[in-house]
Amino acid sequence: MDQAQAIFFAFQIWCSIGALIALFFLTIGIDRIDEDAQGAYVFRLLLIPAILLIWPLVLWRWFILETERDAWPNRHRPPRHAHFWVAIALAVFIPVIILVSLSVRQTWPVDFEPQKLSLLEERKS
Amino acid sequence: MIEKKPPFFVGYLGIPKALKGFLLKLSLLIFAGFIAGAVLAGATQDDPGQAGFRFDYGRQTVTGVLETTPYPLLYVTEGNERIKEGRTMMLSGQGKTPIMANLPKLEGKQVKVSGIILKRGELDMLQVAGGNRGIEDLSREGQIPSSEPLGRWELQGEICDGKCLAGAMNPGRGLAHKACANLCLLADIPPVFVSSNPVQGEEFLLVAGPDGGPFPRELYHYVGQFLELEANLERRGDLLVLIVDPDHIKAIK
Repeated sequence: MDQAQAIFFAFQIWCSIGALIALFFLTIGIDRIDEDAQGAYVFRLLLIPAILLIWPLVLWRWFILETERDAWPNRHRPPRHAHFWVAIALAVFIPVIILVSLSVRQTWPVDFEPQKLSLLEERKS
Repeated sequence: MIEKKPPFFVGYLGIPKALKGFLLKLSLLIFAGFIAGAVLAGATQDDPGQAGFRFDYGRQTVTGVLETTPYPLLYVTEGNERIKEGRTMMLSGQGKTPIMANLPKLEGKQVKVSGIILKRGELDMLQVAGGNRGIEDLSREGQIPSSEPLGRWELQGEICDGKCLAGAMNPGRGLAHKACANLCLLADIPPVFVSSNPVQGEEFLLVAGPDGGPFPRELYHYVGQFLELEANLERRGDLLVLIVDPDHIKAIK
């Protein structure tokens, strides 16, 4: 299995788990955590693609709401209190990522001269 | 006592005097940063060299013998000013459109081919015109030149698709380059090995699979990477063909 096949296989596994979670969440979970969704069904189909991708977040929010641990006012706190550190982190990580990618880049073998190893006939004998 | 408020920037109002100097310096800094970023990003890229579609030559029409293994090749028997008799031309469809579907029945036959030349140095390819104008069956048997074995070689270089390399695109690096090349190979566009230095006088070699057929999909992972490999080489017409060996190919560290 090469890298592309491995990535595609991992993506298939991820989406398969997401499909299973979408099945349970959209038939059971959503009615339990959102009373506005009760009795409404067509819109649930629209949620499937997103659940396939972000199913860990769906599970986490389902758990939080199901166990009534949700501190809802926190969700409306201005996110900008984190902006300073996020900006610092981006200013550091983006150049680091670029430099690392450039440093691991292959170098064109400009000095390598093709070498003749044998004739086909010699190899067959 | 009135508390002095700090200046506050509002986009649709005039700029507060106290902020003018700061905003000017910040603007210049950002502008200089973008220029520096662009220059640095450009400096890390390889020079793509001179290559491209030769629309200025106009549509070329030549006659020759068609071979479809490993990829569509035309051994030119009646050339013109741009494509001389005896030349071996690699053929491709338009864009990434495959042309192989109807070609096997023309194997070994004389055909008249029309299209546009792509050229990079000694490497060239003919992008066949669409529809019936592209390849016309002349209903005459032709003679495919026999291949001449040139031995086994150790080489370093890169496998690209022959069309983008010949000038349809400017070859780059990385995943996008690799994905583009692999899509081209899926469309029957002949892959080309770019050697670090000329082999038998040629820098660009057509790539074939270990059985002499198309480059196998299991090896697409190696496309767009700098490789070291051992492979058999043969000459078909005036084109060198590299017969890859899956057991002796690896990426350069």
